[in-house]
Amino acid sequence: MVEKMGGIQAYLQQQLHPETIDDSAVEQQVAQLDMLQMSSAQLLSLYKEERQAAKAKREEQAKSAAATATAPAPADMQEQPANAALTPQLTPTARLGKMLAAARSVSAVGQLQQAKLIRAADSNRQLQEVLVDFWSNHFNIDVKKSLDRVLKVADDREVIRPHILGRFRDLLEASAKSPAMLIYLDNALSSVPRTVKMGEVMVTQRLRDQMMANGNGALAPEVPKVGDKKGGINENYGREIMELHTLGVDGGYTQKDVQEVARCFTGWTVNRDTGEFQFRPRMHDNGEKVVLGHVIPANGGMQDGETVLDILAASPATAHHISLEMCERFVSDDPPPALVDRIAGVFTSTSGDLRAVTEAILTSPEFLSSSDYNTKIKSPLEFAVSAVRATGSTLTTPQAGLLEKAVSTMEGSGTLGRQQAVDRINKRPRQSLNWHIYDLGEPLFGCAPPTGYSEVSRTWVSPGALIERLNFALALTEQKVSDVKFDAQSLFAGIDLDQPDAVLDHAVDTLLQGRVSDATRKVLQQTVVPQDGADKTVNPNKLVALIIGSPEFQRK
Amino acid sequence: MNVNRRIFLKQGALAFVCLGAGPMWGPNFLRNTAFAAELGSRRDNKILICIFQRGAVDGLSMVVPHGDPHYYLNRPDISLKAPSQAAGAEGVLDLDGYFGFNPALKPLLPIFQQGQLAAIQACGSPNSSRSHFESQDLMESGVDEGNGTRDGWLNRLLGCCPEDAAKQSAFRAVSTTAITPRSLQGEQDSLAIRDLDTFGLAGDKSVMLPGPTGTANGFENMYASAVDTVLHGTARESFDALGMLDKIRNGAYVPANGAAYPNSPFGKNLRQISQLIKANVGLQVAFAEVDGWDTHANQGNAKGTLSTRLGQFGQAIAALHQDLGDRMSDVVLVTMSEFGRTVHENGNRGTDHGHGTCFFVMGGPIKGGKVYGDWPTLAPDKLFQNRDLAVTTDFREVFGEIVSRHFGVPMADMPTLFPQYSVDAARFRNFYAA
Repeated sequence: MVEKMGGIQAYLQQQLHPETIDDSAVEQQVAQLDMLQMSSAQLLSLYKEERQAAKAKREEQAKSAAATATAPAPADMQEQPANAALTPQLTPTARLGKMLAAARSVSAVGQLQQAKLIRAADSNRQLQEVLVDFWSNHFNIDVKKSLDRVLKVADDREVIRPHILGRFRDLLEASAKSPAMLIYLDNALSSVPRTVKMGEVMVTQRLRDQMMANGNGALAPEVPKVGDKKGGINENYGREIMELHTLGVDGGYTQKDVQEVARCFTGWTVNRDTGEFQFRPRMHDNGEKVVLGHVIPANGGMQDGETVLDILAASPATAHHISLEMCERFVSDDPPPALVDRIAGVFTSTSGDLRAVTEAILTSPEFLSSSDYNTKIKSPLEFAVSAVRATGSTLTTPQAGLLEKAVSTMEGSGTLGRQQAVDRINKRPRQSLNWHIYDLGEPLFGCAPPTGYSEVSRTWVSPGALIERLNFALALTEQKVSDVKFDAQSLFAGIDLDQPDAVLDHAVDTLLQGRVSDATRKVLQQTVVPQDGADKTVNPNKLVALIIGSPEFQRK
Repeated sequence: MNVNRRIFLKQGALAFVCLGAGPMWGPNFLRNTAFAAELGSRRDNKILICIFQRGAVDGLSMVVPHGDPHYYLNRPDISLKAPSQAAGAEGVLDLDGYFGFNPALKPLLPIFQQGQLAAIQACGSPNSSRSHFESQDLMESGVDEGNGTRDGWLNRLLGCCPEDAAKQSAFRAVSTTAITPRSLQGEQDSLAIRDLDTFGLAGDKSVMLPGPTGTANGFENMYASAVDTVLHGTARESFDALGMLDKIRNGAYVPANGAAYPNSPFGKNLRQISQLIKANVGLQVAFAEVDGWDTHANQGNAKGTLSTRLGQFGQAIAALHQDLGDRMSDVVLVTMSEFGRTVHENGNRGTDHGHGTCFFVMGGPIKGGKVYGDWPTLAPDKLFQNRDLAVTTDFREVFGEIVSRHFGVPMADMPTLFPQYSVDAARFRNFYAA
């Protein structure tokens, strides 16, 4: 036991320093995903080109549809969807093909999802990947929100991944300056209300003339008049940074604090050409602010936001909120309050050193004790990837187009014709791992509300989701997960398939680390061992499907 | 839970699974069983459809107070025009000379005029956290402060209307969501299925054998004998539902009366709810959600983001109404949202988190054609915290009126349903025909 504990400790220490672990095979695979290597500026220009092309096409189609319209709709109730006229009358398959051809920038999300799956399944730096998942969820960004379908690439690469074992204050700042976050929670738009002056009118007029001359009239900005009131505070980020990212909903802030924090962050925005963070002094509210009782003097400029980050990162409420969430992730849905308090103490005494906080949780008796161990239900991602890992299956490059399909359905119902595509794909007998995780209820990088997915694992269990888990178990073992190769032969290498007990022992050891109830074992036996005498050969695919679908495999 | 359900599970769902073979069992093969006759006979039940507009919808853009001058003063860029010749199709659809529907809600106008649809303006929760998460959690818990209740209010409603246990259906409460919404979490069984069309086990023929060696049976038996109570219960509901659903899938579903559901997930959700209602499977409570209402920027007016959303929203609800036809006499549909949005537009032609919003109630028993509620006006001194539409109808008065009059839940049960609030019939808006 001591030796085993020592083994665990050594493993943990190594995992806490992922840079010491060789992961070149996985990083080589990820490096092949070309869009993940691009700068935000490159991705943005790609995205804009596509938007313009798509818009021009829609307008053309609208014109031709209007020309062919014969009679008005017979009655209000028969009215077509508002945008039906814009939808070309294509078969679902043809429409899907067109969508894919027209949507290259969307595949940036597909590549992000693929990289996440590659790393989850094959990385030697497992703790790092779990932490990346945790912090991406904590600072949730939904890639369906406008430019975030391309800007999330840099957020993952430069905001989340480098900071997960550093200081919380640094991670918080990186997130506050993340263009993807500034867009997701609307801070990029937040500015002090101002009166338009002559200069702005002239600059905008010049820009508009230019764009009209270049044939981009549809995208050209409206020219304001002198004296127009423009801009104003947007509270969205001011609220969520306190409620979700730092203090927690009971963290003791008021509506007034929300407004004051929003004022502090005015001018923290995104350069629309480079896709990089930018502070625009003209948008900033230069007045004095009071945040959680701290007076922030007038004319602080960009420093106002930095001060807010200092205040929030140092608050005991933040230490508690972060500790609770991490304990929920790593220990149990209802972590012992004493543990949470202890971890919050570590957070405070180390000034938010996330490596120390993570280590304190993973070396706590509560984490290591058997009563709290094995109690969380796996999230869809954890479930699907653990099945791939446990069975020794290999992740292959998805067939061309499959990733993009998964992404296209995430674009929200406002977009044309998506639902037909969803319907179409739902009926496909084969789909990618990414797609299965979507069906299980966890679209990767696609959680719409800023809360992210719940850390309370009970919420993943519903009748619908359970049936989808069983379907995944069947699909995996029947080679119907298009980008995963399941290999029963190597999984059962050296085992005689006509020796049912040995086969069962091996499967339970490999897939469940031997943790199986008597009841489950009995059902496995009844189901996979032919009852009628003569031939006792076990069907290994069926056995593995049953185990992946078993109650035991749903928990971690 | 009770003997009959266990028997149903074993003789019904389990038996069906045994017969199934190939990807998705054939849709019709069990329609002649003894259970089919019983299933089709459940025509008497009252049904409630709850729709949650997640993200806090701008009630002022749904049912527009075009008679309130402060509306226009507060919203120079995003207001909807009062009805007039000049405004044309951009003008609101007048309801009573003061309020008007957003023109995108045109599909709902005939239902309002027929008297089966009503709006309740300035409705919502007294909670003022303006947090989406907290406010949704509390509203779905049926409370307005604290950490919510352990279970959702719809789940407690199921507990308050005891069904004849023998008749209780696996489809008594259904949510068209991937995971069970807060409203339905709790002790009473409910189903969360994102897409009924594709709900089922899709397995290879060779493993979907009848008898104890079939994989599907293996799955079911493992969960039936599991001591893991959470998973055990979920699995039982899953397999019950699979068995029943198999019997009501009857080829492609064709909506009645020419109803056209929009091509959106929400349109599909309502289509499937309608399908379940018409299949007479004992549905009592249905839940659907629709998001995209958090319009902090560029929400638009007669055209734009919000109008597009509202267009699909109204069209889906109108399609359900048309599809259900006479069955609407047993149905009440209620829409809700966690809070409304600021009266004053923000600097980005959008609106921030506010307070009061607008709920709809629709159905045969609804005295429609009216905008209910005390209108507080948008005058500066009437605003909640000097910025938001005040709440003059607590959401629990709406829910309370529906459950007491539609389901006959006694007033004595109201404290169970809504523990922090004293529901008082004297405060009901009386939108439900007695």
